[in-house]
Amino acid sequence: MTAIVSIKNATKDYRLGKVVVPALRGVTLEVSQGEFLSIAGPSGSGKTTLLNLIGCVDTPTTGTVEVAGRSTAKLSERELTRLRLDTIGFIFQSFNLVGVLDVYRNVELPLLLQHTLSAAERSKRVLALLERVGLGDHARHRPNELSGGQRQRVAIARALVTRPVLVLADEPTANLDSVTGQNILDLMKELNRTEKTTFIFSTHDARVMAHASSLIRLADGKLAESGTSGPSSHEAAESGLGAMP
Amino acid sequence: MTALVDTLTVVIQIAFRNLFANRWKTLIVGGIIGFGAFLVVIGTSLLDSVDHAMSRSIIGSIAGNIQVYSSESKDDLDVMGGFSFDANAIEPLSDFARVKSVLMSVPNVAQVVPMGLNGSLTLSGNTVDQALAKLRTSVTAKTQGDSSAVLAQTYADQKDHVRQIISVLQGDTENVKKLHDEKALANDDLASVTRAASAEFWATFDQDPLDHLEFLENRIAPLATDADMLFLRYVGTDPSVFAKSFDRMTIVEGQAIPEGKRGFLFSKYVYEEQVKLKTARNLDKVHEAITIRGKKIAKDEELTRLVREASTQVKELLLELDAPKTKLFRSKLQGVLHSSESDVGKLLGQFLSTNDENFESRYAFFYKELAPSLELYRVRIGDTLTIKAFTRSGYVQSANLKVYGTFAFKGLEKSPQAGTMNMMDLVSFRELYGFMTDDRAKEIAAIRATSGAKEVSRENAESELFGAAEGAPSAAPGAAPSADLGTELSGLAGTHRRDGEQPYDPMQLEQGVILNAAVLVKDERKTEETIASIEAAGKKAGLPLKAVSWQKAAGLIGQFTTLMRVVLYTAVLIIFVVALVIINNALVMATLQRVREIGTLRAVGAQRRFILAMLVLESVAVGLVFGAIGTVLGAGLIALLGRVGIAAGNDVLMFFFSGPRLYPALASYNLLLALFIVLFVSVISSVYPAWIAMRISPREAMQSED
Repeated sequence: MTAIVSIKNATKDYRLGKVVVPALRGVTLEVSQGEFLSIAGPSGSGKTTLLNLIGCVDTPTTGTVEVAGRSTAKLSERELTRLRLDTIGFIFQSFNLVGVLDVYRNVELPLLLQHTLSAAERSKRVLALLERVGLGDHARHRPNELSGGQRQRVAIARALVTRPVLVLADEPTANLDSVTGQNILDLMKELNRTEKTTFIFSTHDARVMAHASSLIRLADGKLAESGTSGPSSHEAAESGLGAMP
Repeated sequence: MTALVDTLTVVIQIAFRNLFANRWKTLIVGGIIGFGAFLVVIGTSLLDSVDHAMSRSIIGSIAGNIQVYSSESKDDLDVMGGFSFDANAIEPLSDFARVKSVLMSVPNVAQVVPMGLNGSLTLSGNTVDQALAKLRTSVTAKTQGDSSAVLAQTYADQKDHVRQIISVLQGDTENVKKLHDEKALANDDLASVTRAASAEFWATFDQDPLDHLEFLENRIAPLATDADMLFLRYVGTDPSVFAKSFDRMTIVEGQAIPEGKRGFLFSKYVYEEQVKLKTARNLDKVHEAITIRGKKIAKDEELTRLVREASTQVKELLLELDAPKTKLFRSKLQGVLHSSESDVGKLLGQFLSTNDENFESRYAFFYKELAPSLELYRVRIGDTLTIKAFTRSGYVQSANLKVYGTFAFKGLEKSPQAGTMNMMDLVSFRELYGFMTDDRAKEIAAIRATSGAKEVSRENAESELFGAAEGAPSAAPGAAPSADLGTELSGLAGTHRRDGEQPYDPMQLEQGVILNAAVLVKDERKTEETIASIEAAGKKAGLPLKAVSWQKAAGLIGQFTTLMRVVLYTAVLIIFVVALVIINNALVMATLQRVREIGTLRAVGAQRRFILAMLVLESVAVGLVFGAIGTVLGAGLIALLGRVGIAAGNDVLMFFFSGPRLYPALASYNLLLALFIVLFVSVISSVYPAWIAMRISPREAMQSED
């Protein structure tokens, strides 16, 4: 399997005034294509920082992060943006839809930024995706007319519309009730299976972790555990760290 | 390409929907911008209209497009007279014919009007003087043997009038004494007045009328305080060329100064303000304020003051009344006031203390019933006026000029600055200014021949006069005659009275000295080039010509609109700086509220310039839409005002509007300027917020954890 993400000894320090706060203290990780990887850990363990590094919205202080074969530290701001646009889809905890645009436009937005598809091609793809996430009838609705679950489905459609090799989800079910969260997770899982899209998501919900093909745990900015869990039988991440007892 | 259009579409969609989503912010920012645009359109349009109106009336009155004068002058030319009495710092140009030929050789020059500006203080005779002068004429006629009944009656009436005047003065002088208790001075005066008022004085009058007259002329006349200094500023010019060249000049009363004749024209403003009977003038002012401007006496301080002044200052009127007129006034006033009061002074005071109900009827009554018996103007059209002026070498020179009429410059009628320019022929001007004219030269030669005066150069004058005391050798009698001295001698000769209607050879106008000349051009757009050409032509011809635009030549008045423009632009600048700060703050706030949204856009893959375009577009959209609304409203208001006009509420506005109403016009550049400023402000005010927005990290889209 090709590694979509390859992280070597990555550290990330944040400055808080004069104090340097280490958020990641050296993480090495490889994620292969088609994985459904869960990053678990308590608040402050470095989950989001790790996701930021993988999502190319941040670069490591030391060490390297390679996404789709490109080392992010060497890329300019513009190149990083382009890399995000073409290879990564984002799903956020609070959905983060553009409130003033309707569902259709929200999903179409990354395609418009890409400048590659014609209007007809875009329309076909957007409508198909909306159908796929079960919102075929809601194309002209505004986000504030939708339920939380529906909004997250729109966000998933938006994340997938460019056919990225990697989808990052930051606590995708945290703002949803458990039934809706389950549905969302099922949808992601299904897309992972049928589209072969790699999913990496952070969570601290044990039920969500149960769905993951691989699981890594973060504590104090370090990998505490990695392994395979849940019913899927993917390989464990090839990490150089010792497995849990 | 279509993808770019689609991206733009989405940017526009986000931008516009955001504007609607934040309705209040949009309305506040838009309101400020709209108001600014409105103000720019209104302000610049009004100012342009005022500028246009003023420039037309100033160019068309006296300034012309360009003024030419000697470059050797110490001061700048100010054709509107500035505030100073002294116009001497302009060096004369000695030969107008040459100046004119040089000027006319410049292609764009259409007309050249010769000019000289000066001022004089002239003492206008008071009522006492006039009454005494009339009496003296009758006395002379009597002593020369005229014993007609008509003369006897006239003589009696005139004596009555003088007695009447003295009794008014007597009351007055006593009042002054009571008030001030200035014993020494007032006692002397009081004694004179008492003597003049005594029955004994008049009983002996006929025995020695000349002696009595002399006493009255020397001791009584100076006590009458109604004699006024007339400060007359005048332009000496070629009257017919002047009238042809300046379309704003109109004759109000009388006629223009005939060609080849000496003469004087009063400015209508001066004639009304300074020459007219004060009471009548006050009534005119009140009448004008009520009928034209709809003011009320009770509600307007100025009018209240004028009415009070008119009703308390009746002495001027009383002095004009001889016995029959006093009787006439008494009966008329008693009739109109339904009063049995017999004191005409009190009747007049009562009559003139008007209010809003009775003013118009009394005003009409005054002009219909009383005015025909009064001398409304101290100098009448057709009178001969003695103008005394200082020559440039400091001597007093005088000329008797017939007053042919009054004139006004349309649009500047009410201007205390521009409306005070009187006019005389250039030949008389040169004399008053101390330049040698042909007539003068002959006259001086005659005086010299009869008095045996020898010519003395200025350097040797002292030794000539005081030669012995100084012990210096006496100057050679044959020293070269000095032009300057000739001029000064002509000043000394000024006591010689001449006929006010004396004609002169029109050629004299062309050939003599001038101080300045107004140039009218064919094409006003080329005025700047013409100024340069004139100075070049002057240099080539060896004439020290300096040419200035009318704006410069009109002094303060010419600079006025420029000044107003600076004030307006400063105001606009301040408004827009304030607007900029407010808009900037509003946008920064709005941006900070949208951090999550912008972060998401960035995370999803929007480049920074996308964010920049979005924010600038929002600003520009608000600017354009509201700017256009403000501009359209402003344009609408100006169009409306252009139809109905803006009334000039007072004399100052009358001047700026160059008439009673201003009809502002809209120029397309006003609109473009407004839109341009609005756009500029919109873009500039969005720079900082957009910069902040561009710095928003895509991380902001993620949950903050660390």
